[in-house]
Amino acid sequence: MTQKRSARPLLKISSGIEGFDDITHGGLPVGRTTLLMGGPGCGKTVLALQMLVSGAMHHNTPGIFIAFEENARRVSANAETFGWNMPELEKKQLLFIDASIRSDAVKSGDLDLTGLLAVLEWKTKEMGAKLIVFDAVDVMLSLLTNPMEEYRELYRIHEWLLKHDLTGIITTKVEDNEQATQRYGFMPFMADCAVILSQRVTDRMAVRAMRVFKYRGSPHVLNEVPFVIGPTGVEVGSSNGIHPEPQPFKEKISSGIERLDVMLAGGFYRGTNALIAGSSGGGKTTLAGAFIEAACLRKERCVFISLDENSRDIVRDLATVNIDLTPHLTTGLLRMESVRSESASSEEHFMRIKRIIHEHEPRCVAIDPLSALSRVGGGLAARAVAERLIYLCRNAGITVLFTSLLEGVDPHLETTPLHISTISDTWIQISYALLDGERNRALSIVKSRGSKHCNQLRELIFSDTGITLAPSYTADGKVLLGTLRLEKENALRTEADSTPTNGVRSKRKSRKPAAKSRKPRRTK
Amino acid sequence: MSENTPEGDHAAYVFRLYLAGGAPNSVRALANLYALCQKHFPACHRIEVIDVLKDPSCALDHSVFVTPTLVKVSPAPEQHIIGNLSEEDEVLRALGLPDHSIS
Repeated sequence: MTQKRSARPLLKISSGIEGFDDITHGGLPVGRTTLLMGGPGCGKTVLALQMLVSGAMHHNTPGIFIAFEENARRVSANAETFGWNMPELEKKQLLFIDASIRSDAVKSGDLDLTGLLAVLEWKTKEMGAKLIVFDAVDVMLSLLTNPMEEYRELYRIHEWLLKHDLTGIITTKVEDNEQATQRYGFMPFMADCAVILSQRVTDRMAVRAMRVFKYRGSPHVLNEVPFVIGPTGVEVGSSNGIHPEPQPFKEKISSGIERLDVMLAGGFYRGTNALIAGSSGGGKTTLAGAFIEAACLRKERCVFISLDENSRDIVRDLATVNIDLTPHLTTGLLRMESVRSESASSEEHFMRIKRIIHEHEPRCVAIDPLSALSRVGGGLAARAVAERLIYLCRNAGITVLFTSLLEGVDPHLETTPLHISTISDTWIQISYALLDGERNRALSIVKSRGSKHCNQLRELIFSDTGITLAPSYTADGKVLLGTLRLEKENALRTEADSTPTNGVRSKRKSRKPAAKSRKPRRTK
Repeated sequence: MSENTPEGDHAAYVFRLYLAGGAPNSVRALANLYALCQKHFPACHRIEVIDVLKDPSCALDHSVFVTPTLVKVSPAPEQHIIGNLSEEDEVLRALGLPDHSIS
């Protein structure tokens, strides 16, 4: 097959929205038309506006915004809420044209947009405008009597843009996908890049998403990607952006628990992620606290994000196992944020966490529990968010520890609500062993990529001196934990010392000396 | 650009027609407007024609973007009628002329 070489390579201009540039492999096609379609309240106007403002602010690309529906002044005023300096931009770089038809106007017979284009031509030359937004073109089309005329007028705009080598963004309202393909079927055909925006409610949570369904002459991400309209405008959560692969670290950093480091042959690799999964009350938060304290003691900046639990409560609870985060909070080395999972969609949580990470520039992050995200915004969205958080940290060389709650009755069902275990580098499982009237915590390493690790189940012991792991004993094919382990330990000691033991003691009493004898050394 | 009819000096009806050069709808609108004025108020109207191709700033100042657009300047209130004015009934109703005066 011979490939026809176009006379001019497809040039792209950054949309000013990182995620959008990712999914379109570079942004908007220069000198072509981009179509943004979607239902009411989808964010079409904001998206188009942000692209226009970004062009004016960062690429010295003057632009014109033609508002067919909303009052142009109001559009500009809304833009200021995103922190864009509209009065300054409107001095030279941007022009807003109110092309809405007066509500009391009467229609009699056919009309066209020749007049508008004449005005635009004049203004474009005067300002040197390169980017033109036609917002809510459907409102203008509704003035026309039949589809042929609609086609003719859109084609007129399209031809005009092409003739003057202008980059166009046309937004239009469509009620659903069927209408998008039928009624305005000619629009995507005409445009070189077409994007569908949507807003859906999943589990009572509104989720915005966009999909590039066409990009002539360019590869693009076909899948739907979520986006939010945050305090700084549209943020698109692209899942497979083009980012340089970070150089992997050879350095290992402590998990905060010396014996766990031994099990992990030195700890976690820097820049990787570790998943601690376990049922409620298993000690996930405590392990996260130990990891963060160790990092703070190494003088590394840290972020601790807790979902659905108050930061102060966590600090208080951690103090009972000799983990003191207060001094690090005071020095500002550590930033703790607590987030109510149900207050926002998982996508909004992601954007917020991203912002916190961006602001604090940590080397280590703990998110506890990441699984709380699955409660909001639908499982699929939450999973994508979890994945992106992991990639975000990995690309920034941040070591991240996240915990995941295992719900359900089967403790052997080793799966997390978000199915993130597959992309985690280290996976530590905490479970309970119910045996002989005791409930004991047990820890095991399910995987640790690129590193030797211990395959044994260990007993996880919390005491007021700290956290430690006790070696487990196997007798008659059974793993001994708690009192049984102590008995076995004592028996072994007796054998060595040839002195009698005092038999069975209560668990708590017996554990303390045992814990003290293996006093956990805090990592430095 | 404005075209005054001889009777324009004491015109009861003042119209401003925005059109786009020789575009088909614009040409038709002008013809329709002349015919309508001759028929309904032959002695008391004035028509100003603004070609937005030549004078785009005027269109921008008055926020007139679809062509053709007819503006009834007087008698007050100002009234906008968009389109080539081929539906005469609509135009007359918009101008506030009672239906019976049509025939």
